[in-house]
Amino acid sequence: MKRLHLVGWLAVAALVGACGSTGGGGNSGANAYQGKTIKVGAILSITGAGGVYGPQSWEGASFAVKQINASGGVNGAQIALTKNDDASDKAQSAQLAQNLITQEQDLVLIGPTLSNSAVAVHPLAEKLRTPILAVSTTGIHIVPDCNFPETTPCKYVFRDSLGEETAIPNNIKSYAQDKSPKTGVLLVANDDKFSSDGGKIVESSVGANGITLLKTIGFKKAEDVTPYVTQAVQLKPDVIFITSLGGIPAKIMIEARKQGFQGQFLGGNGFNTATVSNQAGTYGKGARSGSAWYLGNTFASNKEFVTAFKAEYNHDPDQFSAQGYTAIKIIADSAKRANLTFTDLAGDRDKMRVAMEKVNIDSPLGPFQFLPTHDVKQTTWIIMMDGAGGFTLVHEIKPS
Amino acid sequence: MQQQLLNAISIGSIYALFAVGYTLVFGVLDILNLAHSAVFMLGAAVTYSMVVNHGQSFWVAAALGLAIAAVMGLVIEHVCLRPLRRRNAPPIAALISTIGLALIIVAAVEQGRPEHPYLAWLWVDGANSVSFPISALPNPTWHVAGLTLEAAKVAVIPISVALMLVLGYVIRYTQIGRGLRAVAENPRAARLMGLDVDRMISLTLVISSALGGLAGIMFGLAQTDISPYIGRDNVEVKGLAVIVLGGMGSIPGAVAGGYLLGLIEIVALLLFGSNVRAGVAFAALFLMLVLRPQGLFGSSLSEKV
Repeated sequence: MKRLHLVGWLAVAALVGACGSTGGGGNSGANAYQGKTIKVGAILSITGAGGVYGPQSWEGASFAVKQINASGGVNGAQIALTKNDDASDKAQSAQLAQNLITQEQDLVLIGPTLSNSAVAVHPLAEKLRTPILAVSTTGIHIVPDCNFPETTPCKYVFRDSLGEETAIPNNIKSYAQDKSPKTGVLLVANDDKFSSDGGKIVESSVGANGITLLKTIGFKKAEDVTPYVTQAVQLKPDVIFITSLGGIPAKIMIEARKQGFQGQFLGGNGFNTATVSNQAGTYGKGARSGSAWYLGNTFASNKEFVTAFKAEYNHDPDQFSAQGYTAIKIIADSAKRANLTFTDLAGDRDKMRVAMEKVNIDSPLGPFQFLPTHDVKQTTWIIMMDGAGGFTLVHEIKPS
Repeated sequence: MQQQLLNAISIGSIYALFAVGYTLVFGVLDILNLAHSAVFMLGAAVTYSMVVNHGQSFWVAAALGLAIAAVMGLVIEHVCLRPLRRRNAPPIAALISTIGLALIIVAAVEQGRPEHPYLAWLWVDGANSVSFPISALPNPTWHVAGLTLEAAKVAVIPISVALMLVLGYVIRYTQIGRGLRAVAENPRAARLMGLDVDRMISLTLVISSALGGLAGIMFGLAQTDISPYIGRDNVEVKGLAVIVLGGMGSIPGAVAGGYLLGLIEIVALLLFGSNVRAGVAFAALFLMLVLRPQGLFGSSLSEKV
């Protein structure tokens, strides 16, 4: 009888243990990391051309850290997140990554803000076997082929930001279905990877949607955009596609409307921040883009995030804040399941990589998982500027 | 074509106004003040901040922007130039010190955030690009004979021309102008003749910086773009190109060079496409250096100012 009782207790203990386990990893126990620190380095463009996006990513990420640490941390460990401004400069970004990986011995990195910098930072992280999670880079060849033109998939590079290869075609397709535009002109900043990648995606997407591209006008962000806009407007297109960073999309919209452009602006991730919508003001009304996130989504994980974020910062989050916040949630969830040793850094980094591949959480972006390519699998929210610094949801396109 | 011509003249006016300040300092001191682009930005940033964050009218804000730009001229003289001049440092030292000051000014402005304890009064938008709200200064747009005429872009043309004419008059016909020209020709002789050379140099920096600040304010209005980087990205190198085209130290040359660069850029865009615009403009500059190194209005030092 006693033996039977013992077996019964063992079975209950095993069941409790199993219930405590999450995802695909082992259970590290509620306080298994007590007194330890999980070092995360954020490489963001706080200044320079990417300064429109980096501060928002930082707000989201640092807010998630604050929330997690306040509620007991990750199995008792506190997350230490450092802000490292790459000034939107590729070389500086790579130097920071080298320092954070080799000197600071961070467990995992997030960033960099710009795709242009990612081409230097991600291969370095891959080479040094350190997991890195891109939170805003949407260009091509970010994941899995971070060493492009080499095609071997990068094992340590992840992305929680919706790629332009998904967002731009979805946006063009939905606008073509709604308004049947016949002609377009592409204004593309050809001095950074994000913008030129976006331009290539527009060029390869318009034909399938019945739109004739009248001209592709390349420019450099440091130039006066007026003459380029004049060229575009004088072609009288139905649509002006804009692929550029920072304040440039807003400048183009303002200038084009003043010169009498009556059609619509379509763009990419460069549109998706309240900063750009604010800058464009009424001139940007109706400008559409494919977004990874929408402020007005009412599912619980977004609603809670938006409410708490507003209480913290006294302003609404934007897509970049949501992606930064989600990045920390992914890292925390992965660390929780990774059975970290805190003595074997290389081993812990490998455990993090494996755990990140199995992440399955609810986030402000929606239910979150990585594809086998380490890219994000999520809904595209087609949004348009409301003319008052915000956005309105137009369509919701589920991943195929 | 007419619209593009108007674009060229409008941006050329700003290039010219900016370059006149650049060349004025070069004419008197024989050094390049590379902090001029930062002063250009500061004029626009202060004016914007006074309007949007401090609730001032545009005209009061512009006066303050101009005043701070002028004061920056004194800062440049007293921090970057005079100490080096006292040590007989070579011109390259002054060049480096003004580059340093420019970097400090831009870095300070881009750190400006609402919560910053020292910089919030100056700038709260970090690295962002902003523009004057429509309510600050009406900027109507008219469509006439196929041309789009935007008030701010059209207004910069007569304002720039008028200011440059006034400056030309002051330099040529007034006591101050004669003093500046004397210092430009031979500072030692000017000092022996009883001129306060340091005061004349300070005055040169003040006038130059005020013009730079004004060019920045007009750029912010006409181009709807104010950010910590407008000087560095839009006029710093182009300003150099303008004064080389026009002739180093020549005020009429800076004016002509400004408009010429604006035109060259547009012609390059129309003839060769957008990707080579900047390249063609600087190819023209290279040609000028090879064929006529002294520039369009190049002359001996005594005639520069």
